[in-house]
Amino acid sequence: MSALLPDGFAALEPFVVRWAVSGTAARAARRGASSAEEREAFYGAAKDMLLPALAYLDGKNLAEFDAADNRLMDMMLSLAHVALAVEGLGNDEPRHAEMRRHMRITRSPAGV
Amino acid sequence: MNNIASSTAPGFTPVSADSVAWLGTGPVPAAPYYDPAYYELEREAVFRHSWLQLGHVSELPEPGSFIRREVEVLKASVLLVRGRDGHIRAFHNVCTHRGTQLVEAESGRAGNFSCPYHRWSFSTDGRLLSAPDFESFGLTKEECALPAIALEICGGLIFVNFEPKISLREEMGPFADWLEKFPCAQATQFSEYVYEINGNWKLTYDNFQENYHLRFIHPRTGGAAVSDENPFGYPVKYGFHGPHRTQTIWSNPNVKPTPLQAISFGKGAQFAMADGLAGPHARDYLALFPNFFVIGTPTQSFSHTIWPLGPERSRGVIRLYWKGEDDCASRRYAREYALASARDIHAEDRAVIEAGQRGLSSGALKYIHFQTQEALCRHLFNNVNERVEAYKAELAGGAA
Repeated sequence: MSALLPDGFAALEPFVVRWAVSGTAARAARRGASSAEEREAFYGAAKDMLLPALAYLDGKNLAEFDAADNRLMDMMLSLAHVALAVEGLGNDEPRHAEMRRHMRITRSPAGV
Repeated sequence: MNNIASSTAPGFTPVSADSVAWLGTGPVPAAPYYDPAYYELEREAVFRHSWLQLGHVSELPEPGSFIRREVEVLKASVLLVRGRDGHIRAFHNVCTHRGTQLVEAESGRAGNFSCPYHRWSFSTDGRLLSAPDFESFGLTKEECALPAIALEICGGLIFVNFEPKISLREEMGPFADWLEKFPCAQATQFSEYVYEINGNWKLTYDNFQENYHLRFIHPRTGGAAVSDENPFGYPVKYGFHGPHRTQTIWSNPNVKPTPLQAISFGKGAQFAMADGLAGPHARDYLALFPNFFVIGTPTQSFSHTIWPLGPERSRGVIRLYWKGEDDCASRRYAREYALASARDIHAEDRAVIEAGQRGLSSGALKYIHFQTQEALCRHLFNNVNERVEAYKAELAGGAA
């Protein structure tokens, strides 16, 4: 059976469905629509995997990523958004999400 | 609240009141921030004669590349095109036959532009190439070229001026050289987010050129900008040249980043250093009259343009500039974090600006007030009002 994520990152598999999101605007929207429990669970599982994941992915060209690599990349990009909520905003995140909704992401090197 | 009662504390010296007293110290009339008649005057007095930032050279990578930009404040549609000769030009997006808007696409690449109405066809340098039954008009093709708009490029940024009175570089003076050293000058792509707001363009713009509000509106996201020594995060210095202005941002040397903030901005800084983006203006904010500013920080260099949509409505366009493609996962990650964190901060300003607009639009106030550390707001108002008053005098003279 092919793994959802590259070797060494199986611990993140429970979070693939929710956080392996393609596109910067879609990732921002997923953060905005998530619950505090979802964000904290993902952040708690993924924060120590960030550097190992980037080190692994940096060993390949982006164009050569397979489906598992792409999922891991998208999850780390989602972590960028989620970390801002968990580390920075805390319980202010729901109010903040409403304010962010007005700031439409229209362009990103990672794709909108 | 005692610790924020004063703007001065050991370790930081704010810009003195004396140094910006030449801008005036009195109350500022409130009506220019909501009055439709004043807005109408601004359109002609300010926007028709100012250099307006419309794009970046990276948006027009090859001959035939074009972008269409709507400039609502002047009811204009502008076509920016890179010609076969490599030069970027600006034209009114109107067919010279009967005014039909020529291009509907927001961007693309074309060998020529053909009007959908009667198929008049124009080259990428604006010449009329052909028109069905053209002999029946009794015109020359030279008379029918697309109406050009003055265009200058500085720091990789494309500026246009509908009726220039002075060249961009002449008006910018030393700031032109500054801008050439900002990261946007080397950028090959950018991230962008856009918002619309029920706010006058000056009221909206002013929010982003004073730090007085930081600790109140950005209590969790603006920690790097304030400290006990500088509780309001006031800038280190201000600078002025003609209608343009700068501030040098102060940052808290003792700020403790969050775990992923440290990793993310650390990676961004590594890439910025490797890319040679750490120029002499890393802490400088450059505000170009009337509605554009850009900050030179190498890791999160962004510009912000506030477009008037009406006396009480505006659109903000924020761009973060990047040099090179996403060539590895870490670079892509660092850019995503930089975008998301900047957006988090900007998102916090919109609601309070709208609250300010509601208060002003009620007509309850005849005047508003700017303190010393809101000198840049006063400078903007002074320059707008100077032009509006001159235009009113011109109109009155013409009517006499």
